[in-house]
Amino acid sequence: MRVFKILALFMAIALLLISSPDFISAQDEDAEYDDAAYEALLEKGKEYYNARCEACHGADGDGKGFVDIIRVSEKNGRVLEIYPRDFTVGVYKFRSTATGCLPDDKDLMGTVKRGITKSLMPPQDNISSEETEAVVEYVKSFSERYEEEDPCDQISVADPPVWVASEKSIEKGKKIYKDMKCWECHGDLGKGDGPKSNDITDDWGKRLLPFNFVTGELKRGSTAENVYMTFTAGLDGTGMPSYQDTLNEEDRWHLVSYTLKLMGLTESDKKTASH
Amino acid sequence: MDGTKQSGLVKFKDNLFTVKDSLLGSFIRSGAPTSDRSRTAIMFNNFFLHVQTVKTHINTLRPSYTLGMGLIALFLMIIAFISGIFLMVYYNPSIENAFNSVKDINFVVSGGKLMRNVHKWSGEAMIIFVLFHMTRVFYTSSYLRGREFNWLIGIVLLVLTFLLNLTGYMLPWDQLSYWALVIVANIIAAPLEMTDIMGVTKYFDIGGISKELFLGGLVPGKEALNRVYLFHIMLLPAAILIILGVHFWRIRKDGGLTRPDKFDRKDTDTTYITPPDKTGDIFPTYKTYGLMELAKGKTPAVDNDVENTVLSWPNLLIAELAVMMFTLAAVVAYSFYIDAPLKELANPAIPENPAKAPWYFLGLQELVGYSAFMGGQGIPMAALLGLALIPFLDRESEHTGIWFSNKQGLTVTIISFIVGTVGLIGTLAFTIQYGWFRNWWPNIPQIVIVMINPGTIWLGFVMIWSLATIKITGSTRMGAIALFTIFLVSYIILTYTGTVLRGPNWDFFWSQSEWPIH
Amino acid sequence: MHSRFYLSLLLISSLVLMMFIGMGVYREMTSEWKTYQTEYKNMLVRNAEDDAARKRAEKLEIGLRQNYVASLNKSDRCMSCHIGVENPYMAKADQPFTLHSGDYIENHPVDKFGCTICHYGQGRATNKKEAHGKGHTHWDYPIIPTKYIQSACAKCHDYKMLQEEGAELVVKGEKLFREKGCRGCHKLNGVGGDLGKALDGIGSKPRAYYAMKHVVGEHTAYNWIKQHFDDPRAIVPTSEMRVFMEEDESDLLTTYIFSIREEEMPSKYRFLKNIVTPPRDGESLYKMFCVACHGSGKISVYDEIFDRTIPAITNPPFLRSADNKTIKNIVMEGRGGTQMTSWKTTASGLKEEDVDKIVEYVASSRTYERPEPFNYLEFQTNIDSGMRLYNNRCSYCHGKEGKGGNRQLGINLKNSTVQQVLDPEFLALTIRDGREGTPMPSFGGDGLGLSDQNIADVVAYVKTFGKKK
Repeated sequence: MRVFKILALFMAIALLLISSPDFISAQDEDAEYDDAAYEALLEKGKEYYNARCEACHGADGDGKGFVDIIRVSEKNGRVLEIYPRDFTVGVYKFRSTATGCLPDDKDLMGTVKRGITKSLMPPQDNISSEETEAVVEYVKSFSERYEEEDPCDQISVADPPVWVASEKSIEKGKKIYKDMKCWECHGDLGKGDGPKSNDITDDWGKRLLPFNFVTGELKRGSTAENVYMTFTAGLDGTGMPSYQDTLNEEDRWHLVSYTLKLMGLTESDKKTASH
Repeated sequence: MDGTKQSGLVKFKDNLFTVKDSLLGSFIRSGAPTSDRSRTAIMFNNFFLHVQTVKTHINTLRPSYTLGMGLIALFLMIIAFISGIFLMVYYNPSIENAFNSVKDINFVVSGGKLMRNVHKWSGEAMIIFVLFHMTRVFYTSSYLRGREFNWLIGIVLLVLTFLLNLTGYMLPWDQLSYWALVIVANIIAAPLEMTDIMGVTKYFDIGGISKELFLGGLVPGKEALNRVYLFHIMLLPAAILIILGVHFWRIRKDGGLTRPDKFDRKDTDTTYITPPDKTGDIFPTYKTYGLMELAKGKTPAVDNDVENTVLSWPNLLIAELAVMMFTLAAVVAYSFYIDAPLKELANPAIPENPAKAPWYFLGLQELVGYSAFMGGQGIPMAALLGLALIPFLDRESEHTGIWFSNKQGLTVTIISFIVGTVGLIGTLAFTIQYGWFRNWWPNIPQIVIVMINPGTIWLGFVMIWSLATIKITGSTRMGAIALFTIFLVSYIILTYTGTVLRGPNWDFFWSQSEWPIH
Repeated sequence: MHSRFYLSLLLISSLVLMMFIGMGVYREMTSEWKTYQTEYKNMLVRNAEDDAARKRAEKLEIGLRQNYVASLNKSDRCMSCHIGVENPYMAKADQPFTLHSGDYIENHPVDKFGCTICHYGQGRATNKKEAHGKGHTHWDYPIIPTKYIQSACAKCHDYKMLQEEGAELVVKGEKLFREKGCRGCHKLNGVGGDLGKALDGIGSKPRAYYAMKHVVGEHTAYNWIKQHFDDPRAIVPTSEMRVFMEEDESDLLTTYIFSIREEEMPSKYRFLKNIVTPPRDGESLYKMFCVACHGSGKISVYDEIFDRTIPAITNPPFLRSADNKTIKNIVMEGRGGTQMTSWKTTASGLKEEDVDKIVEYVASSRTYERPEPFNYLEFQTNIDSGMRLYNNRCSYCHGKEGKGGNRQLGINLKNSTVQQVLDPEFLALTIRDGREGTPMPSFGGDGLGLSDQNIADVVAYVKTFGKKK
């Protein structure tokens, strides 16, 4: 009996050690500083990249793969033209860092794993996190920015205030939507049909369509936190700026409320939908 | 020629000049109602008045006793008859023209819309007032002392009232009519559920046959409309008139309206009394008496002082006239403001959602939601049977003529009312919230649901509740009060639920404004 | 005092009754149409040019006017209010007295045609609300808004005449109906696709046929159809209808839709001089049946409504690898599991010769250079290797099980057409050379570097999808 008890104790300690995040990150740090291991990682990343990413993003990561342009016909009939991301520039939309910054590794890994629904980048959730990490390292190696710049800190998002998506908050958000001229691109009713919606281009001169709240889902996920992060970090390379400096935190959450309302994702909307 | 002998022409001339007096005299035989004698004579010389007694008990005249319910129901029927004849002139009972002719009545015929409204609302008000009348009769124990048979006739009249209204509802041939017809046909076919369970539908399809007989085919069409029209304008009115005659005749035979055994006259009653027209000693010299008939039961003359009665002319007749005018005025005023509904032309391809029977049957339709057979036929039959048997199961006649019998009766009424309201609302709320057997065990045999559903459970509870009341109070009258009170409460609550709280697909909604589709 | 109670009840009731009867009579006397007719009469008397005209005007009888047209079984009482509709002096008067616009009424005299035959509404009604059938009046066919009124003309007239004599809106609508590819999904007279509801008699469908919950403004069939054209999913949230309108196109199509009616006019009312058959060449047929989904067919587009990629069918790379027989097979059989339904005569009502014309049109942009052939049968295929390659290279667009769709870029490889109709060589060619204008890259040779053996393995693996359940 005693033997079992000791064995159980050992197993418990072992489990604790394995599951502890410090234990893992300690290993990671080791890996990063080890040149040989880094090379091996890149090699692995390349192998994976060539199999799964190259067709669209190109062998050199310049977004000029064989697939070329992907066209998506939105529910309102407008055709969205999607160009695979050019990794050599190092500008990313879905970051949790301040505007102009490089994204955090976790952002990139999240994007690889989740995929980007509307752009038809498929989710890669059936591969191990090691492989994801490897391919992210490889993707980073395309851009010189990673050698020149220091990574920024992640913006921390608190849990959304309880009043988000409440009637009052929606009203306030509606006013902000009007005052901040969101409607110029996104349209009065958020259908992406504002007066400027046809003239928007991204930083490389390619035509963009503003987001249609009514029929679409947000590329980074339609939760309140994600909407808030979009307002705070902005979408670099597109016409969507960061409102970190122009709106205070509370106003941004109000705007989130109104956005959720437009997307039909508030509690009351869900209730009527189930009727 | 003999001078005394007048020529025929002269006789004719005299007759011609006196024709006014002789004609009137043959109409009004007893002269102007100026004396008790002539007032009496007028009552038994007139065919329409002789069904009433010459003298009326003061209790009968008190508005607080009868509330005038029976009279109102009668006058509503007369109003409906007269307006119905008016409508019949324009109505065309064919599926091509029925709807158009009703539209024409509404739009072109002078006063047609008002007349249609009067017909519709007087008919539907009749249901309410027949039920009120029944309630009054019940709570004053007026079904006893030889009046048991008349209570049964009353129940037949109630059923006829329902049928008249229902058949009338179907005549405009709009969407309401059509889908009500479909629902009623399905209720008629309800035994199908039972024969299906027993597996004998193939050999003995009593539900299907009744439905086919009623519709004159498999689907509602011109045969069904003709049948319904025939019933509405001929068979049912004839039946209700004849049975109503029996109903009145029985009132007279059973000794008029009931009254308490111990009757106290109030000061206010003196206004009825005209000074007696006494010219002789004990009996007025001009009066003669003869044995007319030997009647069972207590007549106004027996037991009680004859002084508690007053002459029917003018006391009773004024009261009746006033009630008639009141009824007419109320119906016309209501009809002036509220139009009888008329929806789109019947379209078999587009079911109404929810398809509802007329409101007075929505209590049934609510029960049909649980089990077609039990809700559509079993429970209503049981309720009618229970009502019909009340006078025979409760024979305590000492409280006859007193509202709620006594203090205990009032208590039982109030408690039963509360228990009935809370219990039934609870049952319905439970069913609406949690569903019933079929939702919990999808494969349960249908027979279990037919036997055990909210309707039958409630029926069982009502029976147990009445029996318990009889046991506790030791009085069958109290049991009857408990039973009748819960019957009334159930009818009202079920009708309300079916009318207001049920929306598309028979789902629950607090009001029509919440229906998903308007 | 009871007696007095009854007496006062009698008195009050009688007074109330008399009052309401009086009010009823008053309401009858001052009905809407009587007021209008009196006003009209006064107008005539006031504006009379000479005594004779004044006398005539004074003789005008005030009474309900009904127009019964026996052969149409219509009784229209519209002229009880619209009393000046045939009076040329009323050209400048306001409604309801004004003269009928245009020269329509000269060719369609009211006593022969009535009003509701064109305008709809409730002819029997004698007040505005119910006659026009607007709001909750329980009338199935409310008056047609003026902008759609030409839909009624097409009940009797042919399109050539409509075009020439003032009903060009419905003609334009009919042309749009053909060119927007409505019949790709909707059957009309038994010809068309199966995805949508058949449109026979759609203009006669009563109001209750439509789910009005999301309709803005008045809940009429006209608004439903119009708003459904503008944004199908705003009216029916689950709609898969692909229709994109510019400016007034939705009005034109609505006009046409309400000319598709169940009711048949008596032959003496019909006026069909020139029977115009719409063109049935390949291009017209392609537009009629294919264009709603495939558009020009030059590029392939992922469609958010269908949740799958709609392939390009007229781009040269596709045509190079697919011969006419293959295309015709696909059209006739449809693609199971996708929105591409079968266009066999039994399924769609389309004649086989029409399918041939469509195929010919689709193939018309083929450049006649056949690709280097791929001799599939020469290879010893290895399904395991094919599976590894597929999972690595193909699955992120076509899905692990080859089902495609559901936010995946690739097409469905599992359906019977790919599995049975298409030969392996066609598949192999597609993998090797890719498809320009579509997201399908070239995997062989200079592209992503798969050898022919690899491609054959993948084809062999793909062909196993059909065997699995």
